[in-house]
Amino acid sequence: METPTADDLLQFRDYSATNNNGAPAQINVNSPTHATNAGNNNFNNAQQQRQRGDPLSNLIYDMSNSAQSMVAAAGAPDAPLDGTGAATAGGARLSFLTIEYYQQFFNVDTYMVLERIVNSMIPKRAAANYLRMNIGENPDLYGPFWITTTLIFSIAISGNIANYFQMANDSYQWHYNFHLVSYAATCIFLYANILPAVLWALFKYSLKPVDQADAMETDNASYTPSLLSLMCVYGYSLAIYIPVSILWMINISLLQWLLVITAAMLSGTVLIAVLTPALRNSQYSLFLIVGILAAHVVLAAGFLLYFFHSPAATLSDMKMYPPLPPLRDAAQLPHANQTG
Amino acid sequence: MFEDVNTSPSLEGDMSIPGRRTATTTSQNGVPNYNTLDEPIRETVLRDIRAVGVKFYHVLYPKEKSSLLRDWDLWGPLVLCTFMATILQGSSSADSMSDNGPEFAQVFVIVWIGAAIVTLNSKLLGGNISFFQSVCVLGYCLTPVALALIICRVILLSWQTRFLFFLRLVTTTLGFAWATYASFIFLGQSQPPHRKPLAVYPIFLFFFIISWLVLSHN
Repeated sequence: METPTADDLLQFRDYSATNNNGAPAQINVNSPTHATNAGNNNFNNAQQQRQRGDPLSNLIYDMSNSAQSMVAAAGAPDAPLDGTGAATAGGARLSFLTIEYYQQFFNVDTYMVLERIVNSMIPKRAAANYLRMNIGENPDLYGPFWITTTLIFSIAISGNIANYFQMANDSYQWHYNFHLVSYAATCIFLYANILPAVLWALFKYSLKPVDQADAMETDNASYTPSLLSLMCVYGYSLAIYIPVSILWMINISLLQWLLVITAAMLSGTVLIAVLTPALRNSQYSLFLIVGILAAHVVLAAGFLLYFFHSPAATLSDMKMYPPLPPLRDAAQLPHANQTG
Repeated sequence: MFEDVNTSPSLEGDMSIPGRRTATTTSQNGVPNYNTLDEPIRETVLRDIRAVGVKFYHVLYPKEKSSLLRDWDLWGPLVLCTFMATILQGSSSADSMSDNGPEFAQVFVIVWIGAAIVTLNSKLLGGNISFFQSVCVLGYCLTPVALALIICRVILLSWQTRFLFFLRLVTTTLGFAWATYASFIFLGQSQPPHRKPLAVYPIFLFFFIISWLVLSHN
């Protein structure tokens, strides 16, 4: 881990103010060697010292219960496990049946959510250690959940409106297609949940082999994100498709495809950049990069082809009915309604 | 034994404390103490209906902030949700190919599960409001949207033109804005200030989706 730059310090300050975990912040800033796995180490240290009966750490422990639970929340994903790891590590304090257990996944402020959304859209904006210091410290499920929900309905609604623009006029009784919501929900929730799980498993099983001698240190230095962090990153990476899905209503296929490529490239680049620390650890990093980008492009293209009218379909419509100008005179051709 | 209780002044004072909680619901009709065992069923039912009606009034005229939160009930949400789902469901007529409207159950589930998720979200963000209070408020705040649905339904009786569609758009937008504003008045205070937008956005989305269903119903 390189020495923290001024950017890092500034950024961490922001989050330490909102996160309430003052103690790890100091350690991270002052001694960069500990910062590599800050949450985990500090949490364990605090526990060991507490068992030893160190009065100072006892005092800290008692006075900052909330900070401790924050570190527990952040430290659990650092353990080589996923949500179940968080359950076992946090289970000592909170049962997963209580609402407080889930509140740690929603421990975000408005500013933080906006920051993460913007970071997911603009490449090079996030710091190099964004995944570990920001997402890994406090992975939230607020953003992913509401972004996917918004995306589902924005795609279903603008798909319907695009359909309306293509066939509506005074004489045609337009009927909206509610089932688009179900299709969009299925595909987006699958993408946002299955893909991080697959990626997480691949990260786990493709870790680079290390020498026995420095196995410990290398393990500590490497950073493999938890399942929760991956889901958080992926959920936020879908945010760019919400404005894009509204712009897809404009029925110009060149513009639509341009949007697909731009959006997928922007958020795909961010994904790769954010996941770089994990990808560096993997044996198949090239394969994983291609897979991540391809999945992102395929998702966008699939949205456009399925929920909005594909250029191929409109082309074939125009071939079948040559005098049909797509937008204006559809009324004069009653069979145009059946094809749609 | 009851005579003893009623005649003893000190005990009477104690009795009025549990009665006060329910009396707030019916402060409009001015009956502070009543006995549900003795009165006719008609009065009991009418009193509950009146309580529901007062809540509808408060949603349509959202001034008093805590009126909906004190005594929650789910009668109003149930009535509104059933009504809207009945109107909005896609007709299973011969023209079923082109009519892809939502099923009754889909609307029903969207309203109830949606309200539950929005409430859960505000609980997870650390809001200090009970679960059913929030569901009650969200359900009652559907009233403007339901009114917009009735108006849209009436407009739909005539032959459709672009102007009538525009009229429906305006009606639905008004209902949506009204519902969001009312629920913001009632629920906005329960969140810490730096998280208020995070809690309000799902409410906005919830009413937006239902308003979309209303607008696109034809």
